Amino acid sequence: MTAAVIHRGFVEKTLTSLLHALERASSSERLAEQRGLLQHVDARVKLLGCLALIVAAAVSRHLDTLTLLFAAIAILALVSRVPLHLLTRAWAIIFVFTAAIALPALFTTPGQSIATVAGIPVTLQGLRSAAFLVDRVESATTLGLVLISTTPWPQIIAALRSLRVPAAVVLIIGMTYRYIFVLLRSAEEMFIARRSRSIGRLEGAVRRRMATATAGVLLGKALALSDEVYLAMQARGFRGEVRTLEELRMRGRDWTAGALFTAAAIVAFWQGLR
Amino acid sequence: MSDSLFDVRGVTFSYDGVPALGGIDLSILRGERVALLGANGSGKSTFLRLLDGLDFAQSGTIDFDGRTLTPGQLDDSSFAHDFRRRVGLVFQNPDVQLFNATVFDELAFGPLQIGWSSDEIRTRIDAVMESLDIARLAARPPHRLSMGEKKRVAIASVLVIHPEVLLLDEPTAALDPRSQSEIINLLSGWSGGTRTAVTATHDLSIVEDIADRCVVFESGRVAAVGTPREIVQNEELLHRTGLLHAHRHRHESGVVHSHPHLHRHGDHHH
Amino acid sequence: MHIPDGYLSPSTCAVLYAGAAPFWAVALRRLQRRLAGRFVPMLALVAAFSFVVMMFNLPLPGGTTGHATGVALATIVVGPAGSIVALSVALLIQALFFGDGGITAYGANCLNMAIVGSLVAWACYRIIAGRAPLTSRLRVVAAAVAGYLAINASALCAAVEFGIQPMLFRDALGTPLYAPYPLHIAVPAMMIGHLTFAGAAEAVLSAGVIAYLQRTNVGLLRDTAPGAVEDASLPAIDVLRPLWLALGALMVLTPLGLLAGGAAWGEWSARDLADPAARARIVAVSGSAPLPSGVPHGLAGLSTVWTAPLRGYAPPFLQSTALGYALSAMFGAGLVLLTVFAIRGMLLKARAR
Ligand SMILES: Nc1ncnc2c1ncn2[C@@H]1O[C@H](COP(=O)(O)OP(=O)(O)OP(=O)(O)O)[C@@H](O)[C@H]1O
Ligand SMILES: [Mg+2]
Repeated sequence: MTAAVIHRGFVEKTLTSLLHALERASSSERLAEQRGLLQHVDARVKLLGCLALIVAAAVSRHLDTLTLLFAAIAILALVSRVPLHLLTRAWAIIFVFTAAIALPALFTTPGQSIATVAGIPVTLQGLRSAAFLVDRVESATTLGLVLISTTPWPQIIAALRSLRVPAAVVLIIGMTYRYIFVLLRSAEEMFIARRSRSIGRLEGAVRRRMATATAGVLLGKALALSDEVYLAMQARGFRGEVRTLEELRMRGRDWTAGALFTAAAIVAFWQGLR
Repeated sequence: MSDSLFDVRGVTFSYDGVPALGGIDLSILRGERVALLGANGSGKSTFLRLLDGLDFAQSGTIDFDGRTLTPGQLDDSSFAHDFRRRVGLVFQNPDVQLFNATVFDELAFGPLQIGWSSDEIRTRIDAVMESLDIARLAARPPHRLSMGEKKRVAIASVLVIHPEVLLLDEPTAALDPRSQSEIINLLSGWSGGTRTAVTATHDLSIVEDIADRCVVFESGRVAAVGTPREIVQNEELLHRTGLLHAHRHRHESGVVHSHPHLHRHGDHHH
Repeated sequence: MHIPDGYLSPSTCAVLYAGAAPFWAVALRRLQRRLAGRFVPMLALVAAFSFVVMMFNLPLPGGTTGHATGVALATIVVGPAGSIVALSVALLIQALFFGDGGITAYGANCLNMAIVGSLVAWACYRIIAGRAPLTSRLRVVAAAVAGYLAINASALCAAVEFGIQPMLFRDALGTPLYAPYPLHIAVPAMMIGHLTFAGAAEAVLSAGVIAYLQRTNVGLLRDTAPGAVEDASLPAIDVLRPLWLALGALMVLTPLGLLAGGAAWGEWSARDLADPAARARIVAVSGSAPLPSGVPHGLAGLSTVWTAPLRGYAPPFLQSTALGYALSAMFGAGLVLLTVFAIRGMLLKARAR
């Protein structure tokens, strides 16, 4: 790594990841408002349904069941209009990442040797184990992607609320999501300002101080904002007790979707544990 | 019972020993529309927070409808409930005012706290969204609203409980002329009978539309009280309190000259 | 260190959810009692801050960059209960919305990062900083150590969770069904990265931000420093400081002991206290507070207490050296915490009388 690359390092990289987060959020927010199969289904049904399938993928002891389940999930994603390029990109990234983690297991897992690579034996058990890991992670991640790409965030919040997560916690979660964007923007502004002020190479200690001072300013801002928000909540009558509106109503198609999810999960469990 | 709704006597307030208000005396009458004018840092927001019972006078008293606002008084749940449903404050910063995940949740927050029924809340939210033209924003999270939309939602979040007293902190700041005039229309309709409004602003161009009486703040004190016309025409006062400044313009003819003006920087296009 | 879905068996996940639940309940109850409604916006903003700060690329000594979780920072500013809830919320949003960390593994991630992380950070910070003035350098050091140990304790928990998978969950052929590496691979693989880069990032962030707050916003440090000496010119006297420091040193050595393999780390750390060079290091790290001369008696005895019983009585599948170490270390950390809190509690009671 050259000095220039290292310097580009923290400000640029941080800015990139901040912008990336903002972009990702707004693209999935837009996606969730599109019309596909799952977009029409009650958020609670989707949340529990996806969770059941993730658990089904997690308990499966057979690679064939797991692979079929993955195929089914992929189809579900496509009919819900999760864009193919988004899916393939996620699959590729996860594959590379998980395979890299699982690769040494081919050699380290004790068992029946089926081949040798560079003189080291590869075991059947190691290979199968790596396949299990990749298959499971791909299935679960795809389900997660399906869930967030078809469910606007406010509905996820409403779903959590009606699934008996304490109201105060749900309020905190919603508020956190709200203020992540405010703080992302302030962090972005600070980094942009610092980038333009710091042309040339800075010493390590200076760069560190700059990064931590930015974090310090942000923390101060966050806490000052929280004091003001508390006042704003009090101004509207908040006295410590969180009240919420019942918002979600199950309709016919939600029950149908729920039944389908349940059936799929039961089949997957049964086949996975056979 | 007197006709004054808020009675403010000798009120001081300081932040960690730094004074922000230094002895305010003022009465706000029932049904009156008051504009608080003052330069940045003159204490307008602080004063509104005190009127709303969020902070408390360190000396002096503020009475609301005959009852003195104290921490103890606002801990009393029946008084707090009554006070919160009668008085609403719109904060200057929409990032503070809008703390919920969506516009709909934002509008539901106040009514839920004061214990309305779900049906009542829904009907009322629909009506307010209709009147402020924000119905299409209901499911949006606040970070996907423009500044003007945020301001409108912020005002809606308070109007939804139908308060008797509306406290507004810079409702038109950072708005384009069209959104600004929409808000002004809204406020100029807010009058008559028992509806009271106190608006903090440093925008002289709007005071005649939104207020019957102006109170000019200067470094935490009341520098002058008068009708909007009297205040706006008192150039010496406006200069002294930082509400007006000589400004150099380059006109289309290329002539550069200075003159005082009544508009914010963003407003003029030559 | 966000564990995705698929690495841990559902039963492990369920156990870890169950393990996390009481901490959430207690933390929420405490917050509600102490702060009334104020905890809602406060935790939301701290959670949002943690989320954003996790994206910061921190320049590390040596020219690389790394990410931190900010767990020690959150703990120092809002206390352990607040930090547990705030980080759990940040992790939930990461899992549900950004796909970082699994949904079934959410309980595990909370337990590792939010709960263990906050508690370890809290214990280290309070022990090392003691009653030092709010602007003392000692607090910066304490924050660095707290961050470093917290992230390593979290990593260790994750490594142990990974490492027990192939022992417990295999199919008929002996194929590991989940994370494929046993403890003796998982623990070092996980810890090497955390003892170096991730630990350094966490230490840099915690120390840097605390130092910054000391200069600009010292009020934020007040809540978690009860009894801090107000006047910086007065020495912060705490009779038990040497003991705190010794216990802190033990915790520092815990993860190192794991990697050293073979030697019982209790003995080793006791030796360390007797070794002049190591003593000098500890003294330097602890802001020049004097160490007790020699090794405290209790310490020498204490150091074998929690390694011994496990060795003898562990069930067969736990009879691996690495697991023994890992569990000893975890029990060790737990015992250290318990001891510290017990002594502290007794002291406070005695003082109140
Ligand atoms: N939270 C705070 N902590 C410390 N000082 C504050 C705080 N809020 C306001 N002040 C100070 O109090 C004084 C009055 O501030 P205030 O916000 O009431 O003014 P304002 O008239 O609303 O100004 P602006 O037009 O800029 O909104 C200022 O000097 C300001 O610096
Ligand atoms: Mg103001």
